[in-house]
Amino acid sequence: MKIVVIGGTGLIGTKVVNQLRQAGHQVIAASPATGINTLTGEGLAEAMKETDIVIDLANSPSFEDKAVMEFFQTAGHNLLAAEINAGVKHHVALSIVGVDIMQNIGYMRAKKVQEELIEQSGVPYTIVRSTQFLEFIAGIANQATDGNEVHLSDVLFQPIASDDVAKFVAKYALAAPLNGRVEIAGPERFEMYKIVERYLQLANDPRTVVPNGKPAYFGGEVTHSALVPAGEAEQGAINFESWWATQAVKA
Amino acid sequence: MKRTIKNESGLHAPTKTILEQERKVLLDLGNDITKVREKNDLITLFKNRIKGLFYFTHTIITLIDHKDETYYAFLLDNEGSPIRTHPRYREMVAARFSLNAPFIQAVLTSDEPVSYILEDIMDKPQSPPFLRVNYEGGVREILMTKLMKEGKPMGFIHMYSDRTDSFNPEFRGVMKGIAPQLSGAVSNIIKNEELLNKEKEKSFLLDFSSNIAAVRTKEDLMSAVRTALHKLDQKSGFVIRCINEDKTTMSAYVYDLGSAADEKSLSVLVKAKYPINDGLQNRVLNSSIPLLFNVEREIQRGITSAYLQYWKKMGFENFVGIRLRNGETNLGILLLDIEEIKIELLQGICAQISIALANIMANEQISKKQEEQAFLLDFSSALTKMRTKDELQAAIFEVLDKIMNTQLAMIRVLEDDGVHLSVFMFDRRLFGKAHADFDKLAANKIKIDETYTAQVLASKEGVVFNVDEELRSGNDYAKLWKTTGLRNMYGLPLRMGDKIIGTIWLLADFLGPLLLKGICSQITVAVANILANEKLLAYKKQLEIENDYLKEQIKTIYNFSEIIGSGESMQEVYRLMGLVAESSTTVLILGETGTGKELIARAIHNASPRKENLMVKVNCAALPANLIESELFGHERGAFTGATDRRIGKFEMADNSTLFLDEIGELPLEAQAKLLRVIQERELERVGGKQVIKINVRLVAATNRNLEEEVKAGRFRADLYFRLNVFPIILPPLRDRLEDIEALTHFFVKKYSRSTGRTIRKIAPRVIQQLRSYTWPGNVRELEHLIERSILLATDSTLSDVFIPRNADADKQEQAFLLNRSLEEVERGYIIETLKRCGGKISGTGSAAEVLQIPGNTLHSKMKKLGITKSDYFS
Repeated sequence: MKIVVIGGTGLIGTKVVNQLRQAGHQVIAASPATGINTLTGEGLAEAMKETDIVIDLANSPSFEDKAVMEFFQTAGHNLLAAEINAGVKHHVALSIVGVDIMQNIGYMRAKKVQEELIEQSGVPYTIVRSTQFLEFIAGIANQATDGNEVHLSDVLFQPIASDDVAKFVAKYALAAPLNGRVEIAGPERFEMYKIVERYLQLANDPRTVVPNGKPAYFGGEVTHSALVPAGEAEQGAINFESWWATQAVKA
Repeated sequence: MKRTIKNESGLHAPTKTILEQERKVLLDLGNDITKVREKNDLITLFKNRIKGLFYFTHTIITLIDHKDETYYAFLLDNEGSPIRTHPRYREMVAARFSLNAPFIQAVLTSDEPVSYILEDIMDKPQSPPFLRVNYEGGVREILMTKLMKEGKPMGFIHMYSDRTDSFNPEFRGVMKGIAPQLSGAVSNIIKNEELLNKEKEKSFLLDFSSNIAAVRTKEDLMSAVRTALHKLDQKSGFVIRCINEDKTTMSAYVYDLGSAADEKSLSVLVKAKYPINDGLQNRVLNSSIPLLFNVEREIQRGITSAYLQYWKKMGFENFVGIRLRNGETNLGILLLDIEEIKIELLQGICAQISIALANIMANEQISKKQEEQAFLLDFSSALTKMRTKDELQAAIFEVLDKIMNTQLAMIRVLEDDGVHLSVFMFDRRLFGKAHADFDKLAANKIKIDETYTAQVLASKEGVVFNVDEELRSGNDYAKLWKTTGLRNMYGLPLRMGDKIIGTIWLLADFLGPLLLKGICSQITVAVANILANEKLLAYKKQLEIENDYLKEQIKTIYNFSEIIGSGESMQEVYRLMGLVAESSTTVLILGETGTGKELIARAIHNASPRKENLMVKVNCAALPANLIESELFGHERGAFTGATDRRIGKFEMADNSTLFLDEIGELPLEAQAKLLRVIQERELERVGGKQVIKINVRLVAATNRNLEEEVKAGRFRADLYFRLNVFPIILPPLRDRLEDIEALTHFFVKKYSRSTGRTIRKIAPRVIQQLRSYTWPGNVRELEHLIERSILLATDSTLSDVFIPRNADADKQEQAFLLNRSLEEVERGYIIETLKRCGGKISGTGSAAEVLQIPGNTLHSKMKKLGITKSDYFS
């Protein structure tokens, strides 16, 4: 099958592309770098020719509220229009667990709009909502750092390894369209400050974690359980410790 | 079998010559590369340098596409390649080969050039087909060297040989050594190509921009776009569709479908209005990027718009749709028959087209507005000159046809009663299919509370009725509207200030509200003018008629009290008049000629409550037989030949007054019947008219005939006689009122003394005696004229002589006179008589001699003989 992976050169994209190629599919890793731009439409129509499946893993180059919204709206609109014209049979997109309850955060609003565009497009689709990636932990620690202290809450957190995400995405892409959503998450649930504390410990990071009891995610206030699946979710195979083991090897 | 020979380490130490060769090749190649202008020059130069040192058949360079992990031919050896004639050569040039194959993976993972004996590798399952193709072209071995860029593989240089011993360690060493330089050269070529392309696009857009800047009309735009597309090697067609005024459809505006279009399809395509929301056009309008469409897929999707079928028939498979917008306003779409989308270029083109389009449309709108305004101005000035309905009608029809492309359904005007609206003007052509229905409905007088009229009158600027919607309500008017096939009925009130004049009705699919308002306000003024003019004319006519009657009345300025005569018989007449005057009873005045019947009629009228209005007199004897009817009852315009105007009949004119039918006995039988009917029904119809007019007329008829005898003789209808003979007044002849003769004589003497300027102070008693003894067959009128004559003939202030005709007595005298005369006396008398008649002329034309049929000389001598002198015949 011909599969186009939008954002195919990113963290998850690269993995999904490799997996699908190994499965023997003709895969196009689309990104502005490879001449396919969903914002300008450049190369889009040509890439969509004879395409069966489109996997949208693209992320906004800017995280400022307005820019994010514009990105997901325009890119989503353009991509879906091109898919409709080319007769694409399955559109898979990666979204975020809890996206509807975190509408106070600009990024979540934009992701919600992306989901809605897909649902209304008429293209058969599957939306994969994922929890945060284990790879984000370092970033979470950094944005919460004040001097030598990391201020974080006990908000529930169930991070998933990007390898698992890629596996799930590839799996759902090749399956029949659900015309609905699935949720995926890591195999373990933590209080956020605790997992960060463990991470810093393993990384021999001198910073200390200070629990602050204010549930937040990247500065946006969230409910205690906003970041974890509310109902059933498929769980990844890689837990924190085994993930850390592979990270350590790479390092 | 893969053969990698590590030339630096181990087995063979590089000889001095090889190093020397390599250094020389590198140096020469370095020089060569600076000379490369055409991308294939690189291959040629490179090949020529290597050829001198090593043996091989040909070489190509392929590039990696990381997007889908493939590699494809980039630089070809157009001279040396032995497979150029191979049937699969074209395919190989265009093909992309997967990097995910052992053959190429080995090359990617090795730091050294890798060679293969083709026979060993070419038939392995994942091996690229070009290996076999080359083998079939005589090639036996291949040497692959990877080209790197920024630490990543960017492509390969393929060396081919028809021998299996060409790629010796020295050759490999040289290849490895020059690979970086080649990589640099290839990168430069790619960069150059990109730059060139950008440059080309830019200069293209610049050209296009200057072409577009000169565009003033649709035709200019078409040729500019066509030229541009041809420059881009797009020989095929394009269509620019614009959003129509109705905002719900689009139509072709500028197009060139090339040779694919046949005339018939084209004319259909070009004229049609396609709904914007047809499932395709709206997608283009809603997309900020150009969209590539597949005709077949869109048809299968269920898009029914006819153009897709036409395009399919014309053989178009794919096309690109781009919206054209000016700022945030969508103007239309550009549809191009192309397969590849050069986004930046297309968007550049479209931005320019949009501006041009907006300009042209604005221009068109302005010139259309100007034209309309000019026409409205003409219309307005034309209207001011119009005084008649016909002129107005022609002008209105023209303006509606020319500016609005519509026809007038109806103008109704409010009647004076403020309740009814009557038909004023309409265009019959509009209801060609339903004349009968239209006539039926148009004949109805509408009241202001009629559903549609009420809505229109209540509105400020009119109401638009959707014909189909109204049809559902089952209204008869809506059914009539439907026959025209037009979509909307526009009803507007015609108002002058606050005053409602009427309504105007126009049927059309769409009418611009501003223009409509403009035209309607002008029509209002014109209609008001015409109505005022018509009223003015009517008043004028009425005044003229009244004036005539007044003049006539002044001439015979008699009234009741001025009737002369106090004799017994007249006293009876006065008594009867007194009895009947107050009522509306029909009066029949009988009396000999000249007894003053009209005088009595006027006196009755003047003594009646109707005296404020003028009495209308008809002399039945004076009317030509064929005009009696129209004279009495009036006629409509066009009722008969020569009826060029509407005419109000005497009956209508005498409404609320008295109609005096003089000489009623002379009325032809046919007219009597009609008269009878009017008297009975008290209503009439104009000749050629359909309207029944109620009248309130008092009749006074007069005759000098004996009607009873006339009835008996069958010359007068009995029923009419009885109708008229309700209250007969018989005027006595003058010979029966001898006692009034003196008073009458005095009255006439006074009257004519005044008018002739002669003063008659006295009337000789002899004269009175003479008058009283006369029989007066002409009654008072004869007396009047006799007095007038006598006054003129009187020589002094005494009326001493009157010239009573002697006919009655003279007849007897003459008989005796004639019988007792001699021939001579008879001859003399006859000659004198003849001379008198001929004014004293004796001979020549019209002379007495001619009458007597004797020569002039004979007459002279006879006159002499008979002693006839001038005094005899000039008395």
